[in-house]
Amino acid sequence: MLKRLSLIFMLIALSATLLAACGKGDDDEPEEDEAPPKVKFQPKGNEGTISGVVKFDGPVPTPQRIDMSGDANCAAAPGAKTVDDVTVTDGKLANVYVYLKAPSLDRFSYDVPDANVLDQQGCRYTPRVLGLMVGQTLRVTNSDPTAHNVHPSPRQNTEWNKSQPPNAPPIEAKFNRPETLIPVKCNQHPWMKAHVGVLAHPYFAVTDNEGKYSIKDVPPGKYTLTAWHEKFGEQPMKDFEVKASESKTQDFSFGAKAAYAPTSLKVEPAFIVPSR
Amino acid sequence: MAEGTGSEQLEKRVDTPEPDPIADRSFSMPLLLFSLLMIGTLVWALYDEVVGQRPWKDLQSDFVSRYSRRLKRIKPQQKNAEAEIKQSDEYQQLNTAVLDAEAEVKTRATEIQKRISQIDRQVNDITEPFQNARAWIAAKNYEMEMTPSESGKNSIRQNLAERNKEPIQVAYHDESGKVVEDDPNFHELETMYNKLRDEKAQLVTELIKLQAPANEARQKRDKYLQDNLVGLTEQQVSQLITKMDNFEYRIKQIHVAEANIVDRCESCHLGAREPITLTAARSSIGRKVFVSHPEKDLLTIHDPERFGCSTCHGGNGRATVSAEKGHGRYKHWLWPLYYKENVQAGCNQCHNADRVTPMATVLNRGKDLFQNRGCVGCHRYEGFDRDADALATARQSIKQLELDRDARLREIAQTRLAADTAPSDEEATRLLARVDALRQMISQIDAQIDQHDVQSKYLMQDVKRVGPNLKEMKAKLRKEWIPVWLSDPQAFRPGTKMPTFRLADEEIKALSAFLWQAALGRDDAERATVSMRVARQPVGNEAHGKELFKSIGCLACHSIDGRAIDMGDQKIGGDFAADLSRVGEKANYDYIVRWVHNPRERISPYSPSQKKDLLPSDYQAKNLPFRFGDDSSKSPIDGRELLVQNMTVMPNFRLSDQDARDIATFLTNWRRAMPGYNEPRYPDASFMDDTSLFARGAKLAKDYGCAGCHEIRGYEDEQRIGTELTPEGSKPLERLDFALLTEDAKMGVDPFTGKDVARGKWYDHKGFFEYKLRSPGVYEKGKERVEDQVLRMPNIYLEDQDIDALTTFLLGSVVTSLPQSIRYNPEGQKKQVQDGWWVVQKYNCMGCHNVLIGQESTLMKLPMYQGADGKEQLPPRLTSEGARVNPDWLLHFLNDPSLTTDAERGTLGRRPVGPVRTAAQPATAQTQAGTARPQNAGTQELGLLAQAMMQTNPIPGLPTQAGPLEPQPGMNRNGVRRYLKARMPTFNFSPNELQALVNFFMGADAQQQPHIPEPMVPLTADEQGLARALFTSNAAPCLKCHMTGDPGHDALATAPNFLASAERLKPAWTARWLLDPQLISPGTSMPSELFVHDDQRDRWVFNGPTPPAFQSYEGDHVNLLVRYMFQLSPDETRRLGTGGAPAAPQTAPATATPATAPAQTSRSFDKQRFDKHWRKTLASMKGPLRVP
Repeated sequence: MLKRLSLIFMLIALSATLLAACGKGDDDEPEEDEAPPKVKFQPKGNEGTISGVVKFDGPVPTPQRIDMSGDANCAAAPGAKTVDDVTVTDGKLANVYVYLKAPSLDRFSYDVPDANVLDQQGCRYTPRVLGLMVGQTLRVTNSDPTAHNVHPSPRQNTEWNKSQPPNAPPIEAKFNRPETLIPVKCNQHPWMKAHVGVLAHPYFAVTDNEGKYSIKDVPPGKYTLTAWHEKFGEQPMKDFEVKASESKTQDFSFGAKAAYAPTSLKVEPAFIVPSR
Repeated sequence: MAEGTGSEQLEKRVDTPEPDPIADRSFSMPLLLFSLLMIGTLVWALYDEVVGQRPWKDLQSDFVSRYSRRLKRIKPQQKNAEAEIKQSDEYQQLNTAVLDAEAEVKTRATEIQKRISQIDRQVNDITEPFQNARAWIAAKNYEMEMTPSESGKNSIRQNLAERNKEPIQVAYHDESGKVVEDDPNFHELETMYNKLRDEKAQLVTELIKLQAPANEARQKRDKYLQDNLVGLTEQQVSQLITKMDNFEYRIKQIHVAEANIVDRCESCHLGAREPITLTAARSSIGRKVFVSHPEKDLLTIHDPERFGCSTCHGGNGRATVSAEKGHGRYKHWLWPLYYKENVQAGCNQCHNADRVTPMATVLNRGKDLFQNRGCVGCHRYEGFDRDADALATARQSIKQLELDRDARLREIAQTRLAADTAPSDEEATRLLARVDALRQMISQIDAQIDQHDVQSKYLMQDVKRVGPNLKEMKAKLRKEWIPVWLSDPQAFRPGTKMPTFRLADEEIKALSAFLWQAALGRDDAERATVSMRVARQPVGNEAHGKELFKSIGCLACHSIDGRAIDMGDQKIGGDFAADLSRVGEKANYDYIVRWVHNPRERISPYSPSQKKDLLPSDYQAKNLPFRFGDDSSKSPIDGRELLVQNMTVMPNFRLSDQDARDIATFLTNWRRAMPGYNEPRYPDASFMDDTSLFARGAKLAKDYGCAGCHEIRGYEDEQRIGTELTPEGSKPLERLDFALLTEDAKMGVDPFTGKDVARGKWYDHKGFFEYKLRSPGVYEKGKERVEDQVLRMPNIYLEDQDIDALTTFLLGSVVTSLPQSIRYNPEGQKKQVQDGWWVVQKYNCMGCHNVLIGQESTLMKLPMYQGADGKEQLPPRLTSEGARVNPDWLLHFLNDPSLTTDAERGTLGRRPVGPVRTAAQPATAQTQAGTARPQNAGTQELGLLAQAMMQTNPIPGLPTQAGPLEPQPGMNRNGVRRYLKARMPTFNFSPNELQALVNFFMGADAQQQPHIPEPMVPLTADEQGLARALFTSNAAPCLKCHMTGDPGHDALATAPNFLASAERLKPAWTARWLLDPQLISPGTSMPSELFVHDDQRDRWVFNGPTPPAFQSYEGDHVNLLVRYMFQLSPDETRRLGTGGAPAAPQTAPATATPATAPAQTSRSFDKQRFDKHWRKTLASMKGPLRVP
């Protein structure tokens, strides 16, 4: 009996030791992989369209006048010397960037169109809000008889700041990551502001002077449709569904209430506040 | 018994042959079992020997298979990438250049190579016979030298001469390859041999010269490939695959002999140093043990071959039997592997003297917390008390020297006496000479005392306390608030530095009473002093105060409730100093005004030599006005240095009186304007005047070390009450008092929740520190509370990541066994940088500035500094400050950032001195012209309590006088960047600290000191005209952004005035800045690509239309502009015109000529060209003369 017990005991000890020797001590779980490579988007012919109008409610803020006397060439240029950040015509808001967001869109790669132009004319950016695709060329031209510097300050893309004297060739640049939106500034003329939205897909639009926008060839699916304005912020619309070959209309409405208070770092003397 | 039974059985067997229990019983079964067991054991032993004890073998084969798989997968990718680059035009061009260069010299090169191989063959053929002959001759020569007789020598000489003439049989290949036989004598053979060798040397030189262009082109081509290929080349990948194919399965070991370290970590961690970055992701290597070292830069600085692994990481580097043993996480290993969150503890072993170690952010944070949270108030730590230690030494030296001086004086008197009565004239002369010597010695001692006194003045300026000066409590605080605060500081101000002491109510009462009674204002004389120094202040403008608070830079150190400044509802700002959300509920408005205006201003100076606070009467006794400050810091009583400043690091923002009131009004009022605000009601605190509580409170203050952080009367020289922590990390574990939690720690039970701790046992240094920091009282759990034996360490309420940071710091605080040779002992400029860090961190320079590359300042992270407009308002980056500025200028600037001139300073008066001021001297009379905004101050309503706090005086009998504050030199302006809303404040650095800071910046950029500016080539009249034309041209809008001195323009400017260039900047830096400012300060408003390189004339030219006169100018434009900036005079600036308007349209026509030689300029930025040419530009700026 005793012998058998000691035998069993030894066998147990042996197997336990063997088991212990075989066991692995460290947590060696492999981690999950990064996203798979993108596939080229193929239209199926059942794409829909989203269009609409962006309205503006309430009293239109009186635009601030700009003091351009610091640069005689700007002062001499034609056009109103007012800040055009809020452009309202008949209750319709211009320069609103409307775009789609959905994981389903990020799985594909899309054809990149030709360059989009940002012109400097009369010491202003035209257009003030501009949409680009990832990898699409941004061509900045200077039509003014004065020098500008073009200074985008992105967060997820590389920052740059280049001088562009009169008659200089256009500056061409690309942004390689989606970012909504990148502010562009001319440091010499602090009132000069533009915004560039960069997306990996072509489903975006900017409202015109009548507040209209239209996003074409949208594959059916559920999206977040967002309208963005530089003063009034973002209005995301979740679970926005586009059915096959559907022409959907979606209006937005911004109000003066949403306007944010100027921060304490604004360089105020550049602007003349209207005295009413 | 067994024997008896045996013999009985033996007998019985004879009679009846019964089955024999021994002989007949079969033991085969047990034998079999035991043999099996033995075989099993043998198998197990062998198995264990081969596999069990060598788990790394399995790992190595796993690594080889995984890594080979990975390499084979990326090989085609890299091949494609490489092929793609090789297809590119640039590469093809470079490749053509290589081929062309090779083709050009091909004929001659082949010729040379052919000849060289012929020579080699010939030399090879004749070497043996030649060397034999030469050896024989050498031997004979030696024999001759050793022969004593002249006749013997002669015979050998003869022998030699004959031998020299003898023909030697040689056979060699001639030029056509045929074997030629010859028989030259030795001399002929030697000549032939040497000739061949010389010819070969010449040919080789020629070949190298010939192939140089091709080699250069090849290097360029390969560099292009290297620069443009991400990752390894195909060939490199193949080499790695071959390495894996021939993998040697063995222990991989690093042996660092000088530190006696053997590390076998890489036997398992095989991917740590592989050239491909390996991660635990499935698509990479897929196992954590094989991942690459996460910091390649660190490995470059600390080459593992020289430093090993366990030096930094801890663990048992020798062990190979299991991960647990190797990581040293078992009972018998004292230095376990640091956990991931504490890994930087390892840095501190060698970098313990560093205040800031680049890249070790967690460790640095630990050191910051140790200093800023006031740990240093109770715990000594080598290095953290440098100022206080130096001050103590200086004071001690003064005492010693004074004793010395007295002794000398006595000796003089005695010697003189001895001289008078000396027995001889000679003796008298000798003694008198001794007297003279002694007197000179005294003068030397006096000089030393003076120096120590000056040093003690500087050091007194440098020594700071973490908490406020409690002597001024009666002028500052709401009385009833004090006991409430003491019982739970976190309730009033979450996240405050003030720790929570675990005190009973009666102890809180006694302590409050003591502090209140010890504060200034004890008697009438003191009350009069307080009232004289803290004047009543009219109410300011809250809205303007808010704007200032947001923009002037307060948020770099202080935080506030986001609602106060319309920025969300979270706390916003820095954590270096106190959260100011509720400061208005505890502090007196008048005192806040005074503090915001100049926090260093004391109510009364303290005399360390007399150990008392001086009052006007002390000054009156010597007929002196009651005036003290940096310029009058000597005691009227004994002439020793006084403490004339509050011991705070908070600087002076050079605010006008009105701005100080506006900020104070904002701080006092904002919360009261919030909806739903209720004035806090505090219980009656009349007990605080009960003198019977004084003694008890005094004992508590002493026991709990209040004076470690605060200035308290009578406790100015208190010692620290806590343990010294310098070697805390290497304290034996048994000496860390886990108390009744020892079992919990060993079992891995959390003492708070009673649940299991995730990492298991915590009976180690890490566990002790973490729980101690989380809740110091936890080790009192289950113990009987006996007064005088309680754990005094208060609760500090740290965030989890801060606990990690402090634990890391403490774990790294070890007495290291590493030799000096591998530790970090900086010398020269590196030492200066380390010395400077103490000052930089003490004053939180990094709250506003980017000092370390990659570090973000507190301001940079704030929402209002995001975006283009915000970035323009950021304080400058200082990563190139040493290279940028003249050290003399920097010293001057740091001393007074407003750069106030002596003339300006002269116009500032001092406020009238005297205890009585009439109420008819209203504050409105001196509202400064400096604030350019409507004065509607005083019209605003203060909240109820604020009014109450202004009306009822905390000190009975305090007169209600309104009074102005001290005038501020350089009020309301920055010295350099006047357009910035954030203001560089005056820190009141002592000369010691000024020097340390200048050395820091110069050392960080390896700048020589003293700085002697290179003379600059003066501008010719033509050049002056050219530069002026360019400065004002449309295309080069320098003056649109740079300050000109015109206030209207400067308010909009975003860059400094050129007039200051010559004394402020260094030309080399300026040239680099002009060429590519983004390289120095990413995100700057100054645009890049202002210049392009003119390849034709090898110079930089302005990138844009230049005024017509430039067509005939051949010089470098960057050079011209830098020289112009450095020789700019005020007259010249006026000529430029201010306001940024184009002053002279004729020099700046919109239809200016196009850029010079546009066909030859390259537009894209080329780093190599940039590097090469800016130096040239720079060299051409230096000249023999310097034009004032």
